[in-house]
Amino acid sequence: MRVILFSWEYPPRVVGKLAEYVSALSNSLVKNKIDTYVVTYHDYLTGMSAEASGVETFRVSNPVKTHIGVLTWVLTLNQEIERAAANIYYDAKKKIDLINVFDWHFVPAAIALKKGLRIPFVYSVESLEDHRSLSSDSAYNMAIKSIEWLGFYESNCISVKSEWMKEEIIRIYNVPKEKIVIIPTKPEKWMTSVLKTYNCAVGGTKIET
Amino acid sequence: MKHELSVMMLTWEYPPRVIGGISPHVCYLSKSLAQQGVKVYVATCDFPGAPAHETTFDGVEVYRIDSYKTPAPDFATWVYLMNLNMQKEAAAIVHKLDNKIDVFHAHDWLVANAGIGLKHIFRKPLVVTMHSTEMGRRDGTHTTTEKMIHETEAWLNYEAWKVICCSDYMIQHVKWAFGLPNDKLVMVPNGVNTKNYDENNNDMKTFRNCYALPEEKIILYVGRLVYEKGIHILINAVPKILSKVNAKFIIVGSGYMKEQLLNIVRSMGLEHKVLFEGFVDEENLIKLQKVADVSVVPSLFEPFGIVALEAMAAKSPVVVSDIGGLTEIVEHDVTGVKAYPNNPESLAWGINKLLLDPIYAAKIRENAYHKVLETYDWTKIAQQTKGIYEEILGEYSKSFWA
Repeated sequence: MRVILFSWEYPPRVVGKLAEYVSALSNSLVKNKIDTYVVTYHDYLTGMSAEASGVETFRVSNPVKTHIGVLTWVLTLNQEIERAAANIYYDAKKKIDLINVFDWHFVPAAIALKKGLRIPFVYSVESLEDHRSLSSDSAYNMAIKSIEWLGFYESNCISVKSEWMKEEIIRIYNVPKEKIVIIPTKPEKWMTSVLKTYNCAVGGTKIET
Repeated sequence: MKHELSVMMLTWEYPPRVIGGISPHVCYLSKSLAQQGVKVYVATCDFPGAPAHETTFDGVEVYRIDSYKTPAPDFATWVYLMNLNMQKEAAAIVHKLDNKIDVFHAHDWLVANAGIGLKHIFRKPLVVTMHSTEMGRRDGTHTTTEKMIHETEAWLNYEAWKVICCSDYMIQHVKWAFGLPNDKLVMVPNGVNTKNYDENNNDMKTFRNCYALPEEKIILYVGRLVYEKGIHILINAVPKILSKVNAKFIIVGSGYMKEQLLNIVRSMGLEHKVLFEGFVDEENLIKLQKVADVSVVPSLFEPFGIVALEAMAAKSPVVVSDIGGLTEIVEHDVTGVKAYPNNPESLAWGINKLLLDPIYAAKIRENAYHKVLETYDWTKIAQQTKGIYEEILGEYSKSFWA
């Protein structure tokens, strides 16, 4: 199996906890004989590389440097994420099985690739806009929420880390519960559960909930 | 009809959605390309009442994509969000067509993200028409939004295989603004369909009476009410014109300067002489252009100046500011009158010259109409555009993407 991970933070660029998680995941996937690519953001500040063995990492920068907000920044950066992923796809002779996107930032790229190249995607949720910007319904927050919604709608599978997050996604976005998988953080169950989710997203085994 | 090549147009406006000049441009270009045997798909923003998918009688397939569902805090953010949807839907359409699109053709930065994304997903060449630039529209880039749009344009131009501009002026401007090499730029003029103006309208007198008294001359302005179009220059020229000629000013279009302009007109006590008509549908616009004794294009920045061409096709003599694409369209004293840009005295002089000398006006009228027939014909433009596609596909066939 060949998988591309999309994350807006990846070591050495560490913003929150996501970087460490995606790094651990990519390493673990390689150990499980999965061809793993990471496409992430290169900010020109945190250094060029801290490469794990066997993970192919592509760091792209934003083609537009001046921005009026996070949204425009994210939406132009998405094109470069998409370009990098398309290049991986064509270099791999069109054999990419799955994209795993972490949080909303690169959901647009994952959707365009799914529509155009039929690459399924798993949307892994670390946090939701509703929790980050509590009870805010400005157009700016609503736009981010609508990208999250689009991600839930278009994804082949959604993965979360807790029962609580699953309930929240169902409550806020009305997502059918069968679509959401809880990936336990306990080390012994973690990888099996990730792989099961991936298999399910590419049309393999059924998920047990 | 067998199609040897197919193109997908990306545009944020396509009839019946009309905001500026891109909409009619892409519409006529698409139809004329279809007549040249090119299969044309159009991906554009939706419009109330217009079908989500239609095939026009000339074989152009139009897809109208949801553009307003996602809330956006401001116009620029809306553009990028709209591109998200356009790209997603267009990608699905291309996939359904078995990837049988040879060229993506994007019109202005408003569809930059979608064009660039589709290029890389399907690895097909991207052609860009730069109708305008942020630097030109704003006379430089002053705010963060303007800088962001400018950089987006630069990025789009970088990603393009070839950049089409519709005047020599625009070629130079785009080359300077984005530092493009000469061989990346191609000039293809904009066109106008004279047939639209040829129809006989019997009740023109009645129509004219809705707007002006028989003894009043009609001075027509068509365009958005924004700074770059120089409408305020015309408003400032109104008293100077009225001191010599009895005329009615008809202002078609809307924009952020409307209130300001209305206030100026009110303070001059000339509300009865200057009519703000807002947006006017195509049928009535054509009639207005036909009854206008003079059409004025007082732009401060004008990449092409399609309104001048339309007036010329409608046989309404034109007064234009000597700037940008207008400089190339109009030959002074032959096909129109040129005035100094940003100069109400000069503009008033030009308008009065035409209105006070009917023999001169008639000569200009005839010359202008023939110039339009000769140079700005859509069939010729489509042939040139098809030639550009073919040239690009020839180069592409030798690239590692092919």
